[in-house]
Amino acid sequence: MNDWVIALIKVVFIWTWTLIIATIMTWVERRGSAMIQDRLGPNRAGPFGLFQPLADGIKLFTKEDIIPEKAHKILFNLGPILFALPAFSAYAVVPFGDKIVIGGKEILLQVADVNVGFLYIVAVGSMAVYGIVVGGWGSNNKYSILGGLRSTAQLISYEVPWGIVLLTTVMVYGTFSLREISLAQQGTFLGFLPNWGIFKQPLGFILFIVTAYAEANRVPFDLPEAESEIVAGYHTEYGSMRLGLYLFGEYVNMYTLAALMVTLFFGAWHLPYVDMSKFLSPFAYGIASFLVFFAKVAFFLWLFVWVRWTVPRFRYDQVMGLGWKALIPLALANLFITALVVQLTV
Amino acid sequence: MSRQLDAQAGHGTGDFVTINIGPSHPAMHGTLRVVALTDGETIVEADPEIGYLHRGVEKLAENLTYHQFIPITDRLNYCSAITNNVAYEMAVEKLMGIEIPDKAKVIRSIMMELARISDHIVCVGILGVDLGAFTPFFYLFIQREELYEIFEWYNGARLTNTFGRIGGVEADLPEDFEERWRRLVPNLRKAIDETDKLLTHNRIWMDRTIGVTAFSAEDALNWGFTGPCLRACGVKRDLRKDEPYYLYDQLSFEVPVGKHGDVFDRYMVRMIEMEESIKLVDQLLKIYKEFGPDDPLMAKVPKVLKGPEGEVYAAIESPNGELGFYVKGDGSDKPYRVKIRPPCYMVYQAFPELVKGEMVADLIACLSSLNIIAGELDR
Amino acid sequence: MARPVVEKKYSFTERIYLYEIVKGLGLTWKHFVKNFTASLKRGPHTVPTCWQYPEDRREISPIFRGEHLLLLDEQGREKCVGCGMCARACPAKCITVKRGKVAEGEESRYAGKTYCEEFQIDLLRCIFCGFCEEACPKGAIALGKGYELARYTPGECQLTKEKMLANYRREKELGILKPPRKPVPVAGAAKEAAAKAKGADEGKAKD
Repeated sequence: MNDWVIALIKVVFIWTWTLIIATIMTWVERRGSAMIQDRLGPNRAGPFGLFQPLADGIKLFTKEDIIPEKAHKILFNLGPILFALPAFSAYAVVPFGDKIVIGGKEILLQVADVNVGFLYIVAVGSMAVYGIVVGGWGSNNKYSILGGLRSTAQLISYEVPWGIVLLTTVMVYGTFSLREISLAQQGTFLGFLPNWGIFKQPLGFILFIVTAYAEANRVPFDLPEAESEIVAGYHTEYGSMRLGLYLFGEYVNMYTLAALMVTLFFGAWHLPYVDMSKFLSPFAYGIASFLVFFAKVAFFLWLFVWVRWTVPRFRYDQVMGLGWKALIPLALANLFITALVVQLTV
Repeated sequence: MSRQLDAQAGHGTGDFVTINIGPSHPAMHGTLRVVALTDGETIVEADPEIGYLHRGVEKLAENLTYHQFIPITDRLNYCSAITNNVAYEMAVEKLMGIEIPDKAKVIRSIMMELARISDHIVCVGILGVDLGAFTPFFYLFIQREELYEIFEWYNGARLTNTFGRIGGVEADLPEDFEERWRRLVPNLRKAIDETDKLLTHNRIWMDRTIGVTAFSAEDALNWGFTGPCLRACGVKRDLRKDEPYYLYDQLSFEVPVGKHGDVFDRYMVRMIEMEESIKLVDQLLKIYKEFGPDDPLMAKVPKVLKGPEGEVYAAIESPNGELGFYVKGDGSDKPYRVKIRPPCYMVYQAFPELVKGEMVADLIACLSSLNIIAGELDR
Repeated sequence: MARPVVEKKYSFTERIYLYEIVKGLGLTWKHFVKNFTASLKRGPHTVPTCWQYPEDRREISPIFRGEHLLLLDEQGREKCVGCGMCARACPAKCITVKRGKVAEGEESRYAGKTYCEEFQIDLLRCIFCGFCEEACPKGAIALGKGYELARYTPGECQLTKEKMLANYRREKELGILKPPRKPVPVAGAAKEAAAKAKGADEGKAKD
């Protein structure tokens, strides 16, 4: 029974945590972009405009809920749910810290340490595309359909190199469990580098980050919602909280992907050269590991924002070209080389 | 063509889809509308519809005196109102045989070059926005704001300047003009440079622009292209060089020329023209300083302007190309007819040809790079 | 129509995407740091573009063309004589002037022999070109600094004489009155000046 309560607390905690982060991310996005563009951004609601996301949330909740007359009612309602649900559930297997000891009980800072965590993420992550397609189709709007189609093609093509890169890391660590991968990144590599995934898989990391941007529909791969081309893509017809779910889902996706990046390539909760568990009390270590992990995630979240306001957008066929002609061969080559190295060294 | 397209719209009979882009669409500048027949994302046929911003400017001219029409010309190409004003004034002065004082010529040229910079800033910035690069737009627009401040200190208006009067200009340059300009130039150069750094060599940008909606020089000439769009195709034609007006024959400047007439060349031509305009303003300011404060700014013109019978056509190199005014007088104080030749109109005619076979995203890129201004297009 | 074939020639650094993107990231980072440190400073106008509007306003030009004023002379008399030149010069035809004779005993209020009984500007039509200001022989009307022109009803957009005089008084109090227009030097100025003097004499004679 006790385990159930702990699991429930963890679920609720990570759920609210991602929601809060997603909310704050909307603020970071706006303020960050403003700073990059020599502006100030929202600064009226609360100190530094921190309550702006709250105000936006209230606005989204209280706005009139419009369903276009000729939209497919069921699909139109289903779209945002299908998009947000996988986004929220994907985080379940990603750790958010090492472990914490409360009252003599050791608690893993991870909702579920599934031994097929990878497959779960790939499977659930792919579900998001249904939300986009269903929403785009249900809206009965040509722009929405275009956005939905673009998104389908993009997500499906980028899932291939993404999957291959994940496979490569699995090969390196020999496990499907994200927790074990995290634990394996302690210590040093070649004597002087932190034992992080990025030093073992530099090409893999670059491929992963590019595909992650495509998976999250972020600039330069934001074709599904390319504002200047197809208005708002698949969520053109959406308003009020339905739109809110799409936007939230997007940020939660970003959070999951950033966490995955940290887990696979940036040593999860490990600080370079320092083993925190040796000189911190178990409880403090739990907190510290969570904070270190989050700091790394925060950097990647910021990178999402930073890149968005720096580069232009791809064109549809160019995205496909990049995915199939450049990323997949590179990922395969990377896989091959890794396999060779693993085979020779083990 | 439009009827044919309409018949197919909404029935799903063919394999093609009609997409209606505009008149209210985030990427449509002003109120343009393009009905595009698409095959997937590829455009089979594009049918631009114009007239959503038609205000009957030419008819208005017939009911206003020569002088009163000047503020109306502001509303043509609102990104560079000053060039419109000057073009119209030039036509009327030609009709009436008024020779404006040299100092007025210099002031007009200076202001026109500033307007050219501000127009190109808009075009390049918006092109970036339409291709998803939002940031350069702000770097450039901050400098445009400063340019507008210069306009504001000159005669009190920022956008719709109502610059110049028939026979000269209404005021001398303000005392702090040069100081403002000197303060602006490094920032402006920096903004242009930063835009260049963020975009020009970025492969995403190059892929999106190079070779997109390329146009041959011959076709461009046949369609009546002028200005940056024509120069991007490789034709070295600039009215400032070919049919110099005012002091342009005494100034040294380069006319940038592209090669393929694609979006990238248009963008580059505009970027270089901004640099050239900065140099031109510097040269003009040098000439300006030779004049005394009491040198005439206005030619002697009667209080009530009466145009003689006759017709003239005068054109200048506006930021978008050849902007011409055809004015016919009938001896009264109102023009009998004013016909405006906006550069956008000729360029926009070729739009279906330009985008045929390209993708939806390229249509947007092409439209922004042509710098179609609805106010000027629909008049 | 032959479309030109464009060969894409990319250098190595251009071809690999990342080099230029990282350079761009460096540029935006510089801007971010600069603006971030600036935004931490107290004060109204920290980041170059942003004016925190209602509290913090940008300086506007001394010759700004905004809401109209009806000017008074040094003795506090209305300069306007109600001649209607402004109404005739107006391209938008938004000015209505009704001329009236100054009644006896009211000379202290008006500078001329005649005055405007009614002076109305339709701000919904006005395009702020400033031609009325130029046309006025007495320098009685000017475009002021008012740029907040939003109103609740169309009726409020009718700028009456009282409102314009109030505008004038307000701007005078704030000391932001427009400097009087400098006469524009005209070619053949000497002759012109002589003609003007003569014209003025004639005008006086008429009065």
